Amino acid sequence: MQKVIISVLGQDRPGIIAAVSRLLFELHSNIENVSQTSLQSAFAGIFIAVIPRTLAWVDLEARLAAVLGPMGLQAVVKPMEAGPELPPPPHEAFVITTRGPDRKGLVASITAVIAAHHGNITNCQAVFKGGSDPNANTMIYEVDVPAATDQQRFFAELKARGAELELQVSIQHRDIFEALSRI
Amino acid sequence: MLSSREIVSILDMLQSEHLDLRTVTLGINLLDCVDGQPAALCNKIRTKIRLLSRNLVSVCNRVGDKYGIPVVNKRIAVSPVALLGAPFTVPQMLEIAHTLDDTAAEVSVDFIGGFSALVEKGFARGDRTLIESIPQALAETERVCASVNVASTRAGINMDAVLLMGSTIKEAAQRSADRDGVACAKLCVFANIPQDIPFMAGAYLGIGEPDAVINVGVSGPGVVKKAIDRALEAQPGMDLGQISELIKRTAYKVTRVGELIGREVADQLGIEFGVVDLSLAPTPNVGDSVGEIFQSLGLLSIGVPGSTAALAMLNDAVKKGGAFASSHVGGLSGAFIPVSEDLNIAEAARLGYLSIEKLEAMTSVCSVGLDMVAIPGDTSAETIAAIMADEMAIGVINHKTTATRLIPVPGKSAGDKAFFGGLLGESTIMPVLNGQAANNFIVHGGRIPAPIHSLKN
Repeated sequence: MQKVIISVLGQDRPGIIAAVSRLLFELHSNIENVSQTSLQSAFAGIFIAVIPRTLAWVDLEARLAAVLGPMGLQAVVKPMEAGPELPPPPHEAFVITTRGPDRKGLVASITAVIAAHHGNITNCQAVFKGGSDPNANTMIYEVDVPAATDQQRFFAELKARGAELELQVSIQHRDIFEALSRI
Repeated sequence: MLSSREIVSILDMLQSEHLDLRTVTLGINLLDCVDGQPAALCNKIRTKIRLLSRNLVSVCNRVGDKYGIPVVNKRIAVSPVALLGAPFTVPQMLEIAHTLDDTAAEVSVDFIGGFSALVEKGFARGDRTLIESIPQALAETERVCASVNVASTRAGINMDAVLLMGSTIKEAAQRSADRDGVACAKLCVFANIPQDIPFMAGAYLGIGEPDAVINVGVSGPGVVKKAIDRALEAQPGMDLGQISELIKRTAYKVTRVGELIGREVADQLGIEFGVVDLSLAPTPNVGDSVGEIFQSLGLLSIGVPGSTAALAMLNDAVKKGGAFASSHVGGLSGAFIPVSEDLNIAEAARLGYLSIEKLEAMTSVCSVGLDMVAIPGDTSAETIAAIMADEMAIGVINHKTTATRLIPVPGKSAGDKAFFGGLLGESTIMPVLNGQAANNFIVHGGRIPAPIHSLKN
């Protein structure tokens, strides 16, 4: 048995997950994880599956292309690399939110500060409808901040970068959202 | 994974609806500081408060920053000073008051409560001395808050204490006449005082409490008002059962904030976590008002007919939502209607929609009582005592906490404006019926017996 990662990209339409999972089932493969998202009219899905040793991942990619091609979708298959043996370093999860007028380079600019302080983005949602209405242009990053990071310096730099970009930057520990939203 | 809708809705609560943690109050038992020598007692008090509270403000600020929710006030509540200074004289009691005031300033808390006595069944020596020293203590200090419990459901109403507090309030007002009698804003007279109130001016640490404890008071009237406004805009035909459900859900969120931050502050200070006080506490800021909620519910103003029913619904929904959100609930837990501390309620008083009599009726269904009510300076001590006796009766008979914070503003009359400053706000002075005439009922004194608990009606 071997583990592979399959990514599927294209125009969103009904039946994509069903088509991929049906083929994997027919090929005696087992899906371990699936995640999909739709942005505007685009679809992106990631599958992690265990496939028989007798099935080469390049052959799987070809079989997927045959099924998904007519649907206007592309699939890429890669063998899954083993994850790191060591647990991730101690960290705290923060939610960083920005609101402000739209302009080019907002995501690049904010994520550069996050990367410089070794923050790991675990989830990111951004909507830019354009214009100057701050509520129409929002970025939300869930970020694991390593314990070794100087939080005060990190947050001060984020706020300063936000000010340069006319963005209102909010930084809160993730627990507050969990506490308020979930029972 | 959090949804963007959840995150944006919570950010709105934090950024535009004044969601904050109103107070983190560190309760400190000072009974182990007792000493026959006042100077030694004061030294021990200073040392213990410094030791336990030196990191209070910095930890609250740090935790507040972490969650993006400000802890607006950091306060201290101590054991009743009437017990600590039982053998002392008035000047020695004043020395304790100044020690508390100086130490509170040193550790950067804005108020310290516990200049208190519990006299519902009678006076001990220290109680009388403490009450005698209250006017001067409150006039000379900035941060010390006093409270006196004059009644309880089990003991009845100590009418001698009620009358004594009438003249104490008059004297406190006179001693701070140049500041519109602000000393009275730091003095609460209670029935059924809880031992774990985090809010001032009534906070003190009860004798059944631990050596040190963190109690928190949540806030959130602005959040509740905005939630009601939004819901009614989307669905104008909502009935009161649905609105009550909405308030309950909102109170749940507000209380979770208090629980989360309070517990983390307590953890970081290495001090036990006590209770969350589920109170809607206003400030004199637009958008942070309990009075505005009445208007969102469809009333012309707080005080008009319908107000008591609206408050009963609001108070009950806040408690139901809050109780589910917190593992330990205590303190006053209910909506506050402090006249001068709430812009909208102060305006209702100015326009004549709200009278003392209506306020009194409303206190039968919410926490606290006649709170921050400015009355004419020439109101007699007997009349002030009579107003307090009425309020105490509501608490005693209904087995609930009630209190008064009355301010007879020296040299001013009904309709004039009184200014107390900061969180204490400002208000139009409310007229009082029978303000100066004799009140022979009150001067009888004695104790109104504890009520019977069967035959409820």
